[in-house]
Amino acid sequence: MNNILSIIFVSLFSLQAGMAQAADAYVPKVYGKKGYVWDEMTPERIQVLKMGGDPVKGKESFRGCRGCHKADAAGVREGVYPRLTGQHASVLIKQITEIRAGIRKNPKMLPFVEDPAISVEEIGDIAAYLNSLTSVRENGKGDVDMSVQGKKLFTDNNCFKCHGVNGEGNAAKAYPVVAAQHYGYLLREMKLIMTGVRGNSNPDMVKAISKLKQEELEAVADYLSRLPDYRTVAASK
Amino acid sequence: MRINTHRGGKLRAFGALLGMLLLTTTVYADDIPPLEERLQLCGGCHNPDGNSVIPENPKLAGLDAKYIARQLGDFKAGKRSNEIMSGIITMVDEKEFKALATYFSGQKRSDGTSDKPDLVAQGKQIFDEGVIGTAVPACAGCHNEDGSGSDKFPRLNGQNPAYVVNQLMNFKNKVRNNDPKAVMQAVAKRLNEKEIAAVAEYVTTLKEAE
Ligand code: HEC
Ligand code: HEC
Ligand code: HEC
Ligand code: HEC
Repeated sequence: MNNILSIIFVSLFSLQAGMAQAADAYVPKVYGKKGYVWDEMTPERIQVLKMGGDPVKGKESFRGCRGCHKADAAGVREGVYPRLTGQHASVLIKQITEIRAGIRKNPKMLPFVEDPAISVEEIGDIAAYLNSLTSVRENGKGDVDMSVQGKKLFTDNNCFKCHGVNGEGNAAKAYPVVAAQHYGYLLREMKLIMTGVRGNSNPDMVKAISKLKQEELEAVADYLSRLPDYRTVAASK
Repeated sequence: MRINTHRGGKLRAFGALLGMLLLTTTVYADDIPPLEERLQLCGGCHNPDGNSVIPENPKLAGLDAKYIARQLGDFKAGKRSNEIMSGIITMVDEKEFKALATYFSGQKRSDGTSDKPDLVAQGKQIFDEGVIGTAVPACAGCHNEDGSGSDKFPRLNGQNPAYVVNQLMNFKNKVRNNDPKAVMQAVAKRLNEKEIAAVAEYVTTLKEAE
């Protein structure tokens, strides 16, 4: 028994040593470039997931983010700065670590989220804090209500398979919540993901969304922006 | 700026004199003068209550004590430099920093005034909302809406506009690069000179919320 345990320990240690080496040699790969694998764990993301997060500390660390995402983390209605409240921690961690690694492009935000502005420990804390928040401010919606057409497109193009029927996403698979997000942000991200400019596109989503024309993208964005907070839906069931 | 240099020169001479006095007297333990005496030196430029009336000199009253001590340490180590303060700090022993910081931190920040309402209005917009087009984050996010700050983000309410302009220009040009997380440099880099003038004018009119 002891022997088996020590073998496990030894292999755990060598695994860790291997990972430390991998961290040095790690080269981030961007969508569209050779070797890109969607959702490939960066060494930093593995580290963050191991450390967990403390929402109380996260609130303090989030101070440096409030200048853009606002004190309530609900962003701005025009959608330049997205709403972050209630997003899955796994999604937040994926996005933040991929932005830091240069996989997802976000030059506006980078100096405020890269090292040394935010430490590795703080990423999990901030994610736990944001996940615990609910938005009270109204989000930005499309000019005209196109939710009937939008809902049909969302269903017919299998978007719901990943993002859920209520736009609730999937925490385990790091699919983001898209319900009640700002219209402007939703529309922009769909295009950035479709064209690959965002840097961390999911290839299956690209396939699903590439069929949509501008007006249809607007309709889906409008529909999603009008959905209630996914947690309200879950609570009423 | 010329006036300042002049004053600095005079003070340096004064400091040398003080230094000689210190060398010839042995009444102080560790050659450290009592706080009251030291405050006369600082008070000459920053006012005895820390609310400097000289535009280029910052108000120290109500700044976080750790922030003050860190700035003094950085001036001493050459990590932050200013022709006047860098000279002054050579006369002050590191062991004095804590008491000086505690003293100035405990003083009440005085209010400032402005006679440029248009500039103030422009500055308020930047302070509260940032500048969307150039991705300048709102100052309020870090320094609080009333400019009262925290242990990590220095107090700005009532601060002298000329000093604020100097600091923002220094951060922008990386002359001041001792901010531990480099975020203030990132903010200032995105501001233009007009925006800097406006936001500095607004800052001085801020009053700490009750
Ligand atoms: C200078 C403004 C600015 C600051 C400061 C800022 N952000 Fe952002 N953030 C943005 C912008 C702009 C986007 C959207 C980028 C895009 O369109 O892809 C964004 C997007 C995000 C996203 C992705 C959201 C999603 O749904 O995928 C996360 C997560 C995020 N920010 C977290 C943070 C955190 C945490 C901080 C503080 C450490 C921070 N931001 C500070 C501007 C900022
Ligand atoms: C195979 C799963 C999958 C499918 C199908 C899919 N998505 Fe996505 N979607 C994702 C993932 C994953 C992301 C986040 C990008 C990343 O981190 O890789 C995303 C991001 C988004 C975003 C941006 C959210 C944010 O917070 O930044 C929007 C909007 C979106 N998807 C809409 C759609 C629409 C509309 C469809 C259908 C046409 C669709 N998605 C189909 C997986 C999927
Ligand atoms: C000859 C005038 C002069 C004297 C005397 C002087 N200072 Fe200063 N001090 C300045 C100036 C000018 C600045 C602004 C430096 C800059 O622009 O970077 C300054 C800046 C500072 C700062 C930085 C404040 C901030 O908000 O970052 C601190 C702290 C400070 N002084 C403390 C002191 C202390 C303590 C003393 C007494 C030991 C003292 N000063 C004596 C002129 C003086
Ligand atoms: C992301 C957080 C953040 C934002 C946003 C921010 N600041 Fe700062 N600011 C800081 C930090 C941190 C320091 C202190 C650096 C240090 O400790 O050396 C600082 C220092 C300053 C100082 C120097 C204070 C002194 O006493 O010397 C001024 C002036 C200032 N900020 C003005 C502004 C203005 C104006 C804005 C908006 C345009 C702004 N800041 C936005 C984080 C921020």
